[in-house]
Amino acid sequence: MHEDFAPLPRFPFRRTDPTQPPAEYARARATRPVYPVSLWDGRRAWLLTRYDDVRAVVADPRFSGEFANPGFPAVTAARVVVDRNERAFVGMDNPRHDHYRRMFTNEFSARRMMALRPKIAAIGNRLIDDLLTMAQPADLVAHMAVPFPSLVMCDLVGSPYEDHVFIMECAAARHGLTQTPDQAERKARELAGYFLQLIERKEQAPGDDFVSRIVAEHVRTGNLSREDFAEVGAMILRAGHDTTTNMIGLGTLLLLDHPEQAAAVRDDPEVVPGAIEELLRYVSPVQFAPRRVALEDVEIAGVLIRKGEGVFALNPAANRDPAMFDDPDRLDVRRDASHHLAFGFGIHQCLGQMLARIELQVVFPLLLQRMPNLRVAASEGEIRFKDDMQIYGVHNLPVAWSWARSR
Amino acid sequence: MGTFKVAVDEDLCIGAGQCVLVAPQIFDQDDRGLVILLDATPPPALHEAARKAAKLCPARAITIEEPDA
Repeated sequence: MHEDFAPLPRFPFRRTDPTQPPAEYARARATRPVYPVSLWDGRRAWLLTRYDDVRAVVADPRFSGEFANPGFPAVTAARVVVDRNERAFVGMDNPRHDHYRRMFTNEFSARRMMALRPKIAAIGNRLIDDLLTMAQPADLVAHMAVPFPSLVMCDLVGSPYEDHVFIMECAAARHGLTQTPDQAERKARELAGYFLQLIERKEQAPGDDFVSRIVAEHVRTGNLSREDFAEVGAMILRAGHDTTTNMIGLGTLLLLDHPEQAAAVRDDPEVVPGAIEELLRYVSPVQFAPRRVALEDVEIAGVLIRKGEGVFALNPAANRDPAMFDDPDRLDVRRDASHHLAFGFGIHQCLGQMLARIELQVVFPLLLQRMPNLRVAASEGEIRFKDDMQIYGVHNLPVAWSWARSR
Repeated sequence: MGTFKVAVDEDLCIGAGQCVLVAPQIFDQDDRGLVILLDATPPPALHEAARKAAKLCPARAITIEEPDA
C-alpha cells in the first residue's frame, strides 16, 4: 500500500496528441492503475484506468454518485458549484435516482428512438443540402455537428430552434474548464428557468412532444413538480446538444484520417452500427466521467481509497484498456466495441444513448455519401481541439469536397 | 443437465435499452421503457446474444442460468 509524500500530479492532464487520450492514462494503467492525482483545490482524488475497475466501481454501492456529497470530485471550482446545486437524477443515488429516471425512460426507449430515424435523416439531408451550396472550405462543426443534434433535440423536446444558441451557451458554461463559479451557476439557473417557461407554455398549449407528455403523465398527476422537471429538462438539453456534436466533429476527423474505414462506413450499411460503437469507444467525449465518492474506506486493486475521497472512473482510459480491446489505440470500425463505456456504466448510464446512436448512425454515412471526396481542409494548427472543455471534441473542422465522386 | 435460462429483474432496470439492441428476439421494452422478457428459454442460436445482453446491461438486471456442463 502506498502513501504519497511527493506532490501528486495535477488532474486533468494535457493531451500531447489531440486525437488520443492523455498519455498518462496508459502509463498509469501499466504501472499504477489506481492512480492518485491532485485536483484544482489540492485535494487528492483517484483515477481508475482499467476497464474492470471502472465497471466494478461505478456499480459498487460503497461508492456514491451524489453530486451533493462534499467529497464528490470535480475538475474545476465552477463544476463544484453546479454539482452542489444539481437537482436532476444524474446526481442522485438509488432509490431516488430510479424513481425519477423511470419517469423519463420511455421517452428515450430504443423503439421510440428507432422510430425517429426517418425524421433524423431528413434533418441531416436538409443540412447537407445547405452545406453543398456553401463556399469551401466550410466549417463542418458550425454547419453540421452543432445544428444537427440541436435540430433533433428541439424537435424532440418541443423547444424553438432559434433558442439553440442560448442552449449551447448554457451547455458550454457547464462543460467548460475556464468559467468562474458565478458564470457556470448563472447559466445553470438560466437554462432551468428557460425550461420552466417551456413547461408552462406546454401546459397552456400541449403538443405531440416530450414536454407535453411528461406534463400530462407526471406533472399533472403530482409525481413531479414543475421545478424538478425543469432541472431534468435542463440536463437533457445540455446533454443532447453538447455530446453528439463532439462525436460528429471528432468522429468525422477520425474517419477522414482513415479513408478505407470511411469508405466502409459510406458503402456498407452492415458496418455502420459497429462503426458507431467503435467511434464512441475511441473518442469517449465525456472524458472526466463517471465520478464517484467513497462512502467508506475501500480497497481497489490493492489501493486504499479513503472514505470521502473522490474517484474518476475514466471511461476514455477504460476504453483503451488492452485487456479488453486488442490493439486499443487502433481505430477499427469492424471490431466489436459494443462493450465500450463511453456512455458510462451502472445506473447513470446515458439516458439518451439510443438517440445518440441513431443520430450518429445516420449522420456519418450521409456525410460520406452526399459529400464526395469529403476531406479536411485545414492548415497545420487550424483545427482547435477542446482542451478547454470537459466534453472533448473539436471547436471547428474546415472541410472541402468535390462534385464528382472519384473511387 | 439443465436448460439455458434468462431472467430479468425489472426492479433494477433503468431502460438503457442495450438488451433490445443486441437481442431483440429475447428482450423488449414496455410502455415505461423498462425490460420485458420475451423468451426465457431462447434457442441455442440466441445464447450468445443473451450472454452479451447480460454483460452489457448497466444495471445488471439480466441473469443467465447456464446448463451444467
